[in-house]
Amino acid sequence: MIYAAAIDGNFPVAEPVQVARLRSGDPAALAETIAYYQHRLYRYFTRLVRDPATADDLFQQTWLHVVRQLHRYDTGRSFDTWLFAIAHNAAMDLLRRRPGESLEDHEFALPAVAPDALSAVLAGERAAILAAAMAELPALYRESLTLRFEEGMKLEEIAEVTGTPLSTVKSRVRRGLEAMKQRLCRDQLL
Amino acid sequence: MSEHEIVRDWLALSAAGLLECGEERMVREHAAQCAECSAELEEYAALSAGMRELPAPQPPPHLVTRTAALMLMEADRRQGSYLAGGAAILVFVLVAALAQTLRMMLGDQAAIVWVLCAGVSSLLGAAAALVLTAARRRERSIV
Repeated sequence: MIYAAAIDGNFPVAEPVQVARLRSGDPAALAETIAYYQHRLYRYFTRLVRDPATADDLFQQTWLHVVRQLHRYDTGRSFDTWLFAIAHNAAMDLLRRRPGESLEDHEFALPAVAPDALSAVLAGERAAILAAAMAELPALYRESLTLRFEEGMKLEEIAEVTGTPLSTVKSRVRRGLEAMKQRLCRDQLL
Repeated sequence: MSEHEIVRDWLALSAAGLLECGEERMVREHAAQCAECSAELEEYAALSAGMRELPAPQPPPHLVTRTAALMLMEADRRQGSYLAGGAAILVFVLVAALAQTLRMMLGDQAAIVWVLCAGVSSLLGAAAALVLTAARRRERSIV
């Protein structure tokens, strides 16, 4: 995978020396940290807001917030979780203001796959179809799924990032997967 | 609720790897004997595998550079605020201490002249610092 190196690398952000460099505004440390997280954070925002320009803005807002809040970061905690919690808050603030975007846990049904999408799957673009199906889920379900499957976060980490109980995270992942499976089975894609 | 119904509710979570050990064992044991749950579990497993391989969006080329520049400006601003605050307190204490000394040695008039001179110098110094900071920010934003 393109991002395997960025995800699997052992970047010592949480080490006190690196945090001290960030706090002092060391340009090299800032650039290293942003570069390390750029793919993951940008992907998270793109999944959530489905718009590259907005994802770009949220990405920058998140890092500004990191600079302002770094003195509060406890190096005993996971930097990933702390960073994604800031990203979550930024994205939720934006989605709350966006008309037509629901942030409630509710029953929903995915629409049928469009003919062009179906032909795409027949051509072997199953991953693109999955991404399109995921993009039609409510924001909170998209978030739980991307944190679990793309970020590889544990249940407790997702709960910490999203500030919700474990049972809610489980429910969102389950309902998100069920909705996607129903749609893909209905269209004979699974 | 029968075991079949309980397990069916857990199939998606099993494929997502979010069940506890006991629950996972129950799902596996039930699926080994139930063709319907076994088939559904396979579908969820295929879906979960697909979710891990979704095409990732590419960040714009200069996102890191732009963000790093913004962060540096913010770090500068914060550092500048702290330094300015500290310097202002230090200057105030020094000016007050010297004014008190002058007042005791040379009288009130000398102390007032000293305070006025120090005040004007401090204001000029602060203005110069603001101009330099603004210039530095402009340089950073161009980079």
